[in-house]
Amino acid sequence: MRCNAEASLEVRYPQPFVVPVRTKKRYFIPPAVGIKGKAAVSADQEAKARAAGVVLRQEYMERAINIACTAGVFDPYIPPEGDARLSSLSKEGLKQRTEQIKQGAASQLAIRKIKEHDAEFTTKAFPVKAQEIFVDAHNALTQFNKEKLHSLVTERCYPEMVRGNRYKTLRWHFVESLEPPKVVHARCPDMVSKGNLYGQVTVRMHSRQTLAVYDRFGRLMMGSEEEPRDVLEYLVLERHLVNPYGMWRLHGKIVPAWAPVKEPIVKTVMIPGPELKPGEEFEELNYEVPKPKAVQWHK
Amino acid sequence: ELNMGYVFIGFTLLRNFAGQIRSRLFAFGKTQKLPCIHTSAALDVNKNWDRKNLHMFPPQQPDEARRPAEVHHCRRQIKYSKDKMWYLANMIRGMTIDEAIAQLEFNDKKGAKIMKEVLLEAQEMAVRNHNVEYKSNLYVAESFSNKGKYLKRIRYHGRGMFGIMDKVHCHYFVKLVEGLPPKAEQKTGFDQAKNYVEQLKSRTIIHAL
Repeated sequence: MRCNAEASLEVRYPQPFVVPVRTKKRYFIPPAVGIKGKAAVSADQEAKARAAGVVLRQEYMERAINIACTAGVFDPYIPPEGDARLSSLSKEGLKQRTEQIKQGAASQLAIRKIKEHDAEFTTKAFPVKAQEIFVDAHNALTQFNKEKLHSLVTERCYPEMVRGNRYKTLRWHFVESLEPPKVVHARCPDMVSKGNLYGQVTVRMHSRQTLAVYDRFGRLMMGSEEEPRDVLEYLVLERHLVNPYGMWRLHGKIVPAWAPVKEPIVKTVMIPGPELKPGEEFEELNYEVPKPKAVQWHK
Repeated sequence: ELNMGYVFIGFTLLRNFAGQIRSRLFAFGKTQKLPCIHTSAALDVNKNWDRKNLHMFPPQQPDEARRPAEVHHCRRQIKYSKDKMWYLANMIRGMTIDEAIAQLEFNDKKGAKIMKEVLLEAQEMAVRNHNVEYKSNLYVAESFSNKGKYLKRIRYHGRGMFGIMDKVHCHYFVKLVEGLPPKAEQKTGFDQAKNYVEQLKSRTIIHAL
């Protein structure tokens, strides 16, 4: 009987499973304080592993990326000066028209190559499609529809269109097209390896558009909604020809050297001036604000 | 004397406490498998003040009054006391930004230098990102400080007693608005007396027959 009582006293019941909520840490020590010589500890562990004979495979921090567009405009089209200003009937206008009709041998070759890969490409139907893509892309930009914009515009053009516009309201309207759009230039560069063909086609467009840019607080920054402007643009569209699912997308714009200066924004902006020595005054220096050079650039 | 006794925690008490924690952790078993409901303190910080800069307004009609631009800026975990920072924040509330920067530049406090940096950063942000035309055309609409996360350390006293020392940090918030600061209405003594007499006259007896 006595041994039974002793045995029953020694029986251990299982401890209840208690979450120690009372011991939740209520202070915050920044992690830099807690770690003392952790780097040294990991180095020791590596040496021990190597000594024991454990071989760790080399970890490659790599990730495959797909490049679907080129980085820029190859061999850009140089628009002739006075493009939309001279009528076809004057002598110089006729000269320009004949030059344009020849179009250059390289463009013809490029168009032939594009027709090999893309059966539906014609010099007559393509500019209409290009204008549609242009209008759709700008409408998607005003609504900021990212998915649609990515399908209509290449990865190179997208940041240039979108940069700085995230917290601004854009109001753009395509009023009408003054002249039917035309294909003026084509090139077929290949990237990295020899067969990887991309087609770049330049389309000339003369149209009437309205643009108004409002900042974060709804105040007009630039342009006006009622006043339409005549715009002459050279759009570059690109397609990855080798890819059967490739689409023609807007790749950039060419701004000629003789383009008229854009109108200034509503705000007054400070331009950094020359460094003054103590004792000099700015008014005495006769400083002329440097004007930018008229160079063709493509956007 | 009784109060002093409660302030210093005895060394033996702490040892017992530590012993209890260790025994509880041992009984806990595997710590990893249980879901952790308590997040770390650094993750749950409040970023509402920075989000106020991302609020967009719809375009205004041409006949509406021009909406003044607002810029919100803050600095977190400044190594300074929130109470000491309060004096400076109170000083510059309602000043134009040039005035505020000038006052802080010649103030001897440690927080003044930090506050001046914050104001200059905010001014730069306003001109560059938020379409503010003239950098002097701003005034301090809101300016306040509050408590950041404190670090706890041990302050050693005599006879084995210790106290928990707080390493204080604070946050500082500022809102700059474009335009001139609103003028506080100056009430004359006569106006105040008139208001008082009117209040007395407009008294009624409630629940009267």
